[in-house]
Amino acid sequence: MTSSLVTPNAILRGIHAKLLAVASLVLLAGCSANPIYSTTGIVLTNYAEGEATPYVLQMNDPKMACSLGESLDPLVYSFSRVTSAPDTTGALLMLLAGNCTELQAWEEELRYLRADFQGNVAEAKDARESMKRLNAEVAKRRYLAFQRAMRAYDYDPSQENVECPFLFEDQDELTFMVGLLTGMQGIVNDANSGAMAGVPRNIAPQAERAAQCLDNEKWAGLPNAIRALVWLLLPDTQPALAPDPWRVFEDSARIGVEKGMRISMALEAIAAETFGRPDVLEDVLARYAESEDRFEVREDYRLIDTIAGDVMMFVSDKYWTTNYGYRTPQRFFGQLSEERPGEETEVMDLDGLL
Amino acid sequence: MFRKSLAAMTLSLAAPIAAAEPVKMCVFDVIGANGDVFNMVKDYALEMKSHGVDFELRPYTDEGVAVGDFNSGQCDVVAATDLRTRPFNRFTGSISAVGAIPTYDDLRTLLATLAQPKAAPLMKENGYEVLGIVPAGAGYLFVNDRSIDTAGELAGKRMATLDYQKDAIHMVNYVKATVVPSDITNFAGKFNNGSVDTAYAPAFAYEALELYKGIGDTGGIVDYPLAQLTIQIIAKDDVLDDAAAQQSREVAWGMYGQAMDLVTRLEDAIPEEKWIRISDNDIQGYQEMFRENRIQLRDGTGGASQVYHPKMMSLLSNIRCASNPGASECTAGNRE
Repeated sequence: MTSSLVTPNAILRGIHAKLLAVASLVLLAGCSANPIYSTTGIVLTNYAEGEATPYVLQMNDPKMACSLGESLDPLVYSFSRVTSAPDTTGALLMLLAGNCTELQAWEEELRYLRADFQGNVAEAKDARESMKRLNAEVAKRRYLAFQRAMRAYDYDPSQENVECPFLFEDQDELTFMVGLLTGMQGIVNDANSGAMAGVPRNIAPQAERAAQCLDNEKWAGLPNAIRALVWLLLPDTQPALAPDPWRVFEDSARIGVEKGMRISMALEAIAAETFGRPDVLEDVLARYAESEDRFEVREDYRLIDTIAGDVMMFVSDKYWTTNYGYRTPQRFFGQLSEERPGEETEVMDLDGLL
Repeated sequence: MFRKSLAAMTLSLAAPIAAAEPVKMCVFDVIGANGDVFNMVKDYALEMKSHGVDFELRPYTDEGVAVGDFNSGQCDVVAATDLRTRPFNRFTGSISAVGAIPTYDDLRTLLATLAQPKAAPLMKENGYEVLGIVPAGAGYLFVNDRSIDTAGELAGKRMATLDYQKDAIHMVNYVKATVVPSDITNFAGKFNNGSVDTAYAPAFAYEALELYKGIGDTGGIVDYPLAQLTIQIIAKDDVLDDAAAQQSREVAWGMYGQAMDLVTRLEDAIPEEKWIRISDNDIQGYQEMFRENRIQLRDGTGGASQVYHPKMMSLLSNIRCASNPGASECTAGNRE
């Protein structure tokens, strides 16, 4: 019965179908790559972009997210050898990988500050050197993440009067925005490494222009916070009628709390530290701690708010370690000393008992 | 008794460094606490801690404000470019004299010379002391037209000039260019939007301030150091004792390599085609013009103020003639 089905016509049809399949695979594969690889690449890239990225952005575990970035980036981005480079996912994965190294750099910086506080110069020098090397690595990863994010949307930031990119989905807008922020962070890391990574400093004015392509209200005040930071770095980039950058930061921080993503506050704290404004630092830390009670996180981007919280804690830890030799005690997060005005408890006179 | 008073005397002499209070230092860096200069000063401060001096650093993105706070006593030490620290020590403030240090080798010789204990008396002036000098890179001429490659071509051109830099103003007038008063925050904008034809800056500005925009397709950077910019650490004379001050100068000199690595990286980041290489003949013309200017700015002639210190001019002339003995200035009758 079965054999009766095997007619010459059926055989011909079979050969035809096989030839078609082979031809399609050859087309998929381009000239050199194994067709299975390129198909896998397309599937994996689409999966990473459509499912894995939104999932990771909802996580509240920055360490696990950064480990994912470090381990998956080489795999996902390796598909750029057989299909078009997965720059959107690649930007986010590399950004996460940068955060991993930054966590180590932070620890080394705190070790340096602790040793410096204790007057242990040899230990402080060792920690500082280690911190510089780690910062160079962070800077390299962040510069790569920035380049991928810009490439993903065919945006050449070095061009004069460049048009805003087409950003179809919210995830595209977010990737583009954090790409800009990552580029800015890369400059800071590079400077803290002793310029070992060679990150071009013109990323700052480029980010200032590109940030104008994004809706400030929608994105929790971050686009304007990026601009304000650049205005402080390069006053020439500030438009004549623009408000004071510190006021812009405060406004962005407020929007951030309202929109459930306090990343602008983290940027304000970094700016306060960078530009020597301990008054602003104290104020923004207090505002952040105060926001905790009534804050409702934007679920889709929980990871970003959590990372911003880590930055706030680190900035606070740096201050505490520099001034007291240890990191911020939990109950004093949000202030710069252990003084608690109004908490003095009345004591009784013991003279009669002694 | 004698022993006791000797001990007391020694203690009082050591008092400035033994003080528990950290020495407050205002540090200028255009990028603030996360900038290259501030980071380098952190390394310096750490090294000084091993010599018993504890610095507390405060970042300033405005050099004028940093020096102002130093003057008003809000900090004991200031780290800023020599353009701003010149009033505290005219001798070291003359390192950036126009065209006086044409190569980094000459700069190296100079800074090593000044770090010697023998140079200590020259580091003190009017109640202030220089605690260290670190290179910040040569200033170059940025032009919007590559044909502006000789001094003669500068006549009639508009040049962004720092309004507090008397020697630069004199130089611009000397070449019959037009001074367009500017400051660090706005000269790049003026060059980039075409309201001036030329500006001078260290290589750092090419990328960070996007000076390539002002250069465009027709301009370039003249490959001849107009002046050597340095970061100088200035203290009120009583902040450190003589031994600690000398130690500090040696620590700062020890950072020369680190600073030059940074400068070289920034200069190398400029694409080769943007540099305007000038002929040996033109270089000689430049050198003579600069020399005439320096003499005027030393003596206060030709309408110039007395800006440069004669001893520094003489030292720099000796350094140049040691590295390039064939230069015409070395046999000139009016050697600096």
